[in-house]
Amino acid sequence: MASVVEIREVTVAFGGLRALRGVDLDIAQGERLAVIGPNGAGKTTLFNVIAGDIAPTTGTVVIRGQDCTRRPSRHRPRLGLARTYQKARAFAGLTVRENIYLALAGHRGRHRALWRTPADRAMGDEAADVADRVWLSGQLDELAGELAHGQRRQLELAMAIATRPDVMLLDEPASGLSRGERERLVELLESFDDRLTLLLIEHDMDVAFRIAQRVVVMADGEQVMAGTPDEVRADPHVHRIYLGTEAA
Amino acid sequence: MNLRARLTGEPLALAGLVLFLILLPSLATAFFVNFVMTQTLILGLAAATIVFLSRYGGMTSLAQLLMFGIAGFMFGNAALDGGARGLNLGWHPWAAVGFAIVVTTLAAVVLGAIASRTTGIYFLMLTLVYGVIGYFVFAQIVEISGPGGITSIQRPDLLGPPVRLYYAGLLLSVLAYVGFRALRRTAFGLALQGVRDDPVRMASLGFNVPLHRTLAFVLAGFVAGLAGLLNVWWNGQIDPASISIGPTLILLIIAVIGGISSLEGAWLGAFVYVLVFTYLRDLPLVDRIGITEARFNTVIGVIVLAIMVLSPEGLTGIARRLPVRTIRKELGGTRA
Repeated sequence: MASVVEIREVTVAFGGLRALRGVDLDIAQGERLAVIGPNGAGKTTLFNVIAGDIAPTTGTVVIRGQDCTRRPSRHRPRLGLARTYQKARAFAGLTVRENIYLALAGHRGRHRALWRTPADRAMGDEAADVADRVWLSGQLDELAGELAHGQRRQLELAMAIATRPDVMLLDEPASGLSRGERERLVELLESFDDRLTLLLIEHDMDVAFRIAQRVVVMADGEQVMAGTPDEVRADPHVHRIYLGTEAA
Repeated sequence: MNLRARLTGEPLALAGLVLFLILLPSLATAFFVNFVMTQTLILGLAAATIVFLSRYGGMTSLAQLLMFGIAGFMFGNAALDGGARGLNLGWHPWAAVGFAIVVTTLAAVVLGAIASRTTGIYFLMLTLVYGVIGYFVFAQIVEISGPGGITSIQRPDLLGPPVRLYYAGLLLSVLAYVGFRALRRTAFGLALQGVRDDPVRMASLGFNVPLHRTLAFVLAGFVAGLAGLLNVWWNGQIDPASISIGPTLILLIIAVIGGISSLEGAWLGAFVYVLVFTYLRDLPLVDRIGITEARFNTVIGVIVLAIMVLSPEGLTGIARRLPVRTIRKELGGTRA
């Protein structure tokens, strides 16, 4: 199957610190890929490179056949890419509906309209439907800054799925969620269309292994291994670097 | 409309205020209307552009008085003819208006495009630098500012009687207020607020953050230019000192007095400033406690300090809290 994201020899250096060291990664269309590893492994840096939030020091990033290595993040939605952040980054001064509306407006190029049209009202209705999918329909007119942590995560997810992306990058979506909320999150992720490519950073192994078809393990800015969830779970090296213990 | 708006009757109160201001020339003295209120509307309009940029875009600009001054100088240069100071282009007054607005807007495009790459304190400092450079440009290039300023500037015939200038100020103030408020709900306004809250997130959603900031700066520059035109018609002259660092800070202080997070605060702050400026010297015994005209800025400073201690949101912050308390009392409600 053709790759939708191709990472070649990507290195990211912050001064003397090398956050990524020559990472290669191919992600096929429709693939569900989890990236795991201890803190400081370079997972979020890898996401930031793919999403265009930081440019790699060396190496290339190709998304859907287009070299995006030096292109800023604002070009990514046009290529069908959406992301969430490790720390929920909703717009605190806007309501849930307005946050989701902005995700829709950004994707559809409605950036600078100085008056409201029926299209805006339709997007507002669409935002309500998306909020319903992530169980936020009761908070539509609440300010994002007043939401509980878990609800902010749900809003992040809503903003990502609103644009119906081809590639979605989720950075620790289950972080801070209760057990029940995690279950609902897994149900939601499993309900996505098979053509959606999903890239997931997750410390909750239960969530990561249930969603992913393939798991990439990172440590110290490098890819340590890649395999199916069962292969990764059984690998003693992964246990050593991740948990500091050998597999039982 | 939300519950709070209904309780405070905000739209109704604003409509009533506008009606009152329309009727004011038949109720108050000519001095109060043509001096106090016209100046209030002009300064309020200019200060509203600071509030707009700060509240919606998260950008505190010290360049708004420069835009105000550019429009005034350009009008003076274009409208005056032989014998007057400046370029003496001698154009038709309305052509001069167009020229002033175009030059001001173009200046805002250039300055905004550069400033849009910065945020927070860096944006504030950069716009302060704009103000300082602008002052020196007009102070040193006397061909466009005249030696000691451009004087004897006449307003267009349409705005001949002073009361018409008052109405022009009122009309532009209402349009700016309603326009800025309406903009909040549009795609552009929501995007601007998104840029204020989290520019990185906005970029990841596909928005061109620097372009949004630039467009907001241009819009604010355009409105500040209109205020600058009103000011030069009201004053009849303009000189570089009127856009120096002191008046630049006074415009910011006006916005802070009223409340930098509320549009109506711009006009409220301007009203308080003009009232103090106009009537302080007439208060009984005020000179005996050492408050002379030379110490006017100290008085303003103390007022700003007192307001900030009482409410960081300025006078509108104080005013907003009052009716809600009253309503709670009327409803017999208590805080848990």
